[in-house]
Amino acid sequence: MTLEEQVRSNRIRSAMLLLSFGLVFVGIGAAVQALYGGVSLIVIAGIAFAYAIFSWFANGRMIASWTGARLVTKEEYPELVRAVENAAIGAGLEQTPQVRVVDDPCPNAFAAGGSPETAYVAATTGLLAMMNKRELESVLAHEIGHVRNRDVRLMSLAAVLVGVVALVADLALRFAFFGGGRRRDGGNPILMIIGLAMLILAPIAAFGIQMSLSRRREYLADESSAEITGDPEGLALALWKLKEDKTELRHANRATAHLYIETPLNNASGPRAALSGMFDTHPSLDSRIESLEKMGGFQLSALVDTQPRLA
Amino acid sequence: MYAALPPIPSLGANSIQTGACFVVRLEIGDGRRGTRLSASTRGAKTNPTKYRPRIIAAIVPVFVYVIIGVVVLAAIWAVLIFNRLVRLGNEAKRGWSNIDVQLKRRADLIPNLVEAVKGYAAHERGVFEEVTAARTAMQQATGPAQAGEANKQASAALGRLFAVSEAYPQLRASENFQKLQDELTDTEDKIAAARRYYNQTVYQYNSRLQSFPDLVIARLGAFHEREFFELEQPSDAQPPSVGFSGDAPAQ
Repeated sequence: MTLEEQVRSNRIRSAMLLLSFGLVFVGIGAAVQALYGGVSLIVIAGIAFAYAIFSWFANGRMIASWTGARLVTKEEYPELVRAVENAAIGAGLEQTPQVRVVDDPCPNAFAAGGSPETAYVAATTGLLAMMNKRELESVLAHEIGHVRNRDVRLMSLAAVLVGVVALVADLALRFAFFGGGRRRDGGNPILMIIGLAMLILAPIAAFGIQMSLSRRREYLADESSAEITGDPEGLALALWKLKEDKTELRHANRATAHLYIETPLNNASGPRAALSGMFDTHPSLDSRIESLEKMGGFQLSALVDTQPRLA
Repeated sequence: MYAALPPIPSLGANSIQTGACFVVRLEIGDGRRGTRLSASTRGAKTNPTKYRPRIIAAIVPVFVYVIIGVVVLAAIWAVLIFNRLVRLGNEAKRGWSNIDVQLKRRADLIPNLVEAVKGYAAHERGVFEEVTAARTAMQQATGPAQAGEANKQASAALGRLFAVSEAYPQLRASENFQKLQDELTDTEDKIAAARRYYNQTVYQYNSRLQSFPDLVIARLGAFHEREFFELEQPSDAQPPSVGFSGDAPAQ
C-alpha cells in the first residue's frame, strides 16, 4: 500500500467513523426513547451531532487534557524537540508538529490532532528518561509516521467519539437501573428490553470500531519510522525496552489506548488484564519487533547483548 | 505504484489512432455521398452494393465515439501523470530546501566556532584556513551534487578542528564552545534526515522520468532529473541512473 492509498483510506475511514458514530447515537437515542419516552431521540442525536463537529476541530486539545500532555518549548526539552524536528524533516513534513510532554514515569508516546499542521506528538517523561537519542528518535519517528500517514485524525476522532459513547451508554444504563423513568409503568416491555440491549451493545460496538483501526496501522507506522530514520534496529531496541518495562501509565484509559506506541493497558491487573488479550488495540511487541527484524535483516538478540541490561 | 496505472495502451499507439481519426472522417464523407447515390438509384433492386453504405453509416459513428473516448481517456491519463510528476518534483524541491536551510545554518556556525577556538589555540592556523575554505566552498556551491561535495569537505575540516580542540581542556570546558558543538551536531543530524528524504524523493522522481510512459510527458513538459545529495549507498538509488543532468535547478 502506498502512502497516497493509505492517506485516502484514512480519509474514507474518518468519514465512516463519523457516520457509524452517528448511527450508534441514533441507536442510543432510540433506546432511551423506548425506555423513557419523550423526544429523547432528537435531543440525543442533536447533541451527538454537535459533539461530533466539536470533536472534529478540538480532538487534539481534548486528548491533551485527558492524558495530561502539556506543550513544551525547545528550551525545556531540547533533545525531545530536536528528535521530533529530525523525524519531521526525515518524513518530509512541511512543518514540525507541536511537542507535548506527559509527566508520567511509564515510558510511552502518542500523536494526536488533525492535519499535519495541527497535530502534535507527545512523550512521557518516563520515555525521555529511558531511551537514548537513537531510540528516542525512532519512537518519535513512529509517531511522526502516524502524522504523515494521516492516521492521527482518524485515531484521535476514534478516541474522543468512542470515549463519549461509552460514557453516555453507561449513564443511560445507570439511570435505567437506578433512576426513575417517566414511562416506567406504561412502557412496552419488549421495547424496553431492546433498549437495554442497545445500551449495552453501544460501547461494545464503539470499541469494535476503535480496535479495527489500530493494529495494522501500528505495523505501518513502524515501517514509516524505519524509513524516516533509516534505522529499524533503533526502533526494535526501543520496543524491546518498552517490553521490558513494567510500570503503568497513570492516565491510561480505554478511549485513548490505541493512540499510544505501546498499549498502556497491558500491565494493568484485575478484570482489565483478563480482557486485554481479547481487546488489544495493538499487535504484540514481539511480532512488531519480528517484522522490523525482517525488514532490516538483523537479529535483535544479537543487538541486545551489547546493550546494558535494564534494571 | 505502477499497479495503479491503467494497462499501458501506450501513448504512441494513441497518437497513431488520433491519426486514424482523420481517415475515418474522410470515410464519413464518402459514406454520406454513397447514401445519396444509392437514394438516386433506389429503383435497382438487384444492386448488391445497395446496403453497404448504410452499414458504413451505422458503424462509423460508433467507431468515432470509441476513438474520441480513447483520446479523452488518454488526455486525462496524461494530465494525471503530469500532475504526479509536478507533485514529486515539488516534494524533491521541498526536500532540497530542508537541506539548504541546514547547510546555511552550518555555514553560519563555522565562523563562530573558528573564533571560539582561536581564542585558545591561535597558532593552529592551518586548520582554520581549511575550515574557512570549506565554508566558502559550501556557500559557493550550486546544485545538490556540488553542495554535497562541499559539505563533505566541511565535515572533514570540522573533524580536524574538533580533534585539535581535544588538546585544549579549557576550550572544551567553555560553555560557548559546547553550545556551538551541540548546534553543529544538530545540523549534521538534520542534514542526514533531510538527505534521506530528499534522495528517496529524487530517486522516485528520476526513475519516473526515465520510465515509459512518464518520460514522454516529461519531455513535453520539460521536466529535468534532479541531482542526488551525498549519495553514499548505491542501494539508495537502485538502478544506475542514466547520467545526472547538470541543469537540475538547485532550488
